[in-house]
Amino acid sequence: MGVGGPAEASAIEAYGVGVKYRRGWALQDCSFRLPAGRICGLVGPNGAGKTTLMGIAANLLQPTNGTLKVFGEAPESSEARRRTAFLAQEKPLFRRFTVAETLRMGRELNPAWDQRAAENIVRAGNVPMEAKIGTLSGGQRTRVAFALAFGKRPDLLMLDEPMSDLDPLVRHELMSTLMAEAAEHGTTVLMSSHMLSELESVCDFLLVISSGGLRMAGDVGELRSAHLLLHGFESGEGNSQWQGHAHGVPAELAGHTVVECRTSGREVTALIRPEGPVTGRWQAHTPNLEELLLSYLRCPDAPPLITSEAHVPGRAYGSDGSRTVAA
Amino acid sequence: MSNLTSTSAVGPHGPTASPASRMATRGPRLGGLVWLIWRQHRAGFWTVLAATAFSVAFIAYQRTGLMDDLAAHGWPDAAPDKWMEGALPYASRFQMVGYGLGFIPILLGVFLGAPLLAGDLESGTAKLVSSQSVSSSRWLAAKLGISALVVIVCTAALSVTFGWWWEPVRKQSQILAWSEGSAFDNTGPVPVALALFTVVGGVAIGMLLRRTLISMVVTFGFAVVVQVVWHYQRQNLGQVTTITTSKGIGDTSFPSLPEAAFEIDRSFVSGSGQTYGWGTCVRETSEKVCIQKYDIVGWSVDYLPISQMSIMQWLGASILFALTAAVVVFVFIRARKRIV
Repeated sequence: MGVGGPAEASAIEAYGVGVKYRRGWALQDCSFRLPAGRICGLVGPNGAGKTTLMGIAANLLQPTNGTLKVFGEAPESSEARRRTAFLAQEKPLFRRFTVAETLRMGRELNPAWDQRAAENIVRAGNVPMEAKIGTLSGGQRTRVAFALAFGKRPDLLMLDEPMSDLDPLVRHELMSTLMAEAAEHGTTVLMSSHMLSELESVCDFLLVISSGGLRMAGDVGELRSAHLLLHGFESGEGNSQWQGHAHGVPAELAGHTVVECRTSGREVTALIRPEGPVTGRWQAHTPNLEELLLSYLRCPDAPPLITSEAHVPGRAYGSDGSRTVAA
Repeated sequence: MSNLTSTSAVGPHGPTASPASRMATRGPRLGGLVWLIWRQHRAGFWTVLAATAFSVAFIAYQRTGLMDDLAAHGWPDAAPDKWMEGALPYASRFQMVGYGLGFIPILLGVFLGAPLLAGDLESGTAKLVSSQSVSSSRWLAAKLGISALVVIVCTAALSVTFGWWWEPVRKQSQILAWSEGSAFDNTGPVPVALALFTVVGGVAIGMLLRRTLISMVVTFGFAVVVQVVWHYQRQNLGQVTTITTSKGIGDTSFPSLPEAAFEIDRSFVSGSGQTYGWGTCVRETSEKVCIQKYDIVGWSVDYLPISQMSIMQWLGASILFALTAAVVVFVFIRARKRIV
């Protein structure tokens, strides 16, 4: 059990959340905490349950098992609804509304509406206010959807694949707007994305899920420094087919938690969580976010790592996850 | 008292203005949902309202014509036989308009009810609204409430106007008998209840199917079934009156029913009170033999007097209103579980 209770408030606390659809479990036994004020990347392969997780927090669906709290309240409470904004992947908008009417909807339905912030985002993209949504390009529509989410002045902003249909320039611009707004207002951002490199530049917190389970959660720096990426050469004897983390691991790594170990030719690359000094002739360096994520996504069987900062009180974490990692 | 008001008026603006402005933001917020729903469905609502206004004007015009023709034939002082001449040309018009009005519940169900939620679920805009600060129950309530209001206003206006047109000749079965669908389903609370039930049914179908087009098709089927069931169950809503005679079954001995009564069934009655079908004697050699054989003494006639009409209409409408309420409850319970 991670000791030392959460210092700051939590934006999201999930207690054993599971969601079952007709075709099976989309999410199983997810327990984590997202501290307030963080920019959190939500990563996982397609169909891992990212949208499902956001949907629960946005009160679009109810979990089959467990509970999830948004700022300590149930997602369906008016308090939680008022404080969260969710930008769905398909960016739904009323096609027959004009841009101005879309923003008016935001104003009519949200008590803390910030018309200026919303208008600024729309104006920055030269989107005419009187244009019908249906006549806008995909990127312009995304911009209006962004403006609607920002104008709500949420404390928790959830973005599901926000940048998928934007050109690099607009993506960059909207990302900077997002970061500036978040920094100014202390907004917590939860953002799912496939663009790992992009996440690296903006996120300071990370949630990794795959096949419905939580694989990794915690501060980016803490997660990175908990791992070592090792490069070395095979000594010659033994199994030449080293793949995955479980079998064929070089003997000198036995004491560590091996996330992934790959060989190409005689070259061995391993991502480990060191449990002490690493012996052997390895070139070791701290992995960057992309390397870390790729390893975890490639090896869904690797033991999950939930740092103490991402622990929710009163939940037992697995023998591997319970290890408190020093930053 | 006056002291209190004067201090609040003179006092600094800050503290007095803040509750007022909070009230001001609360007011439009309630109106905000109304604005959203009106804006989203305004084309449909305006079409329905305009069509209703046109129909009301057309019926009012017909009523003026009818009244003029009736007056020309001595209505209301003269005997009905006299002024009926003036009303007869209107018989086909009553039939036609009544027939047309009968389609309104189906049209409203298919074009207003079915897409109401299915459209938002299909396009994802239900998700958009759910991620605003208002709860989805309030959104649903506003949506259903405004649509129901439009449906009620329009169908009630048509019901009142059609009833007003028909009123002078309502006891003349040759023009339009009250038991016919064209009269019964288009006056009183019945058109409102039928339309409301069909629309709410369409909303529920749209919510379950989540696709606009297929919901409209299924709602059409549902609306037709409602009409057919209603058509066959209508008569059963009334309290049947039976009249029996004991003066034989000759041509002149048939009992005279009250004015505008709707005859449901006629049969022969024997001395012991046994009833025999009207066609019992067809296969016998002669009527006389038949009368002796079955000891037939007179007629037994089942009918519904016109006084039953509004009782039947209100009973039927209450059943439909109760069903409507049940569907609305289902929609809300289901929405609480999963709306998008």
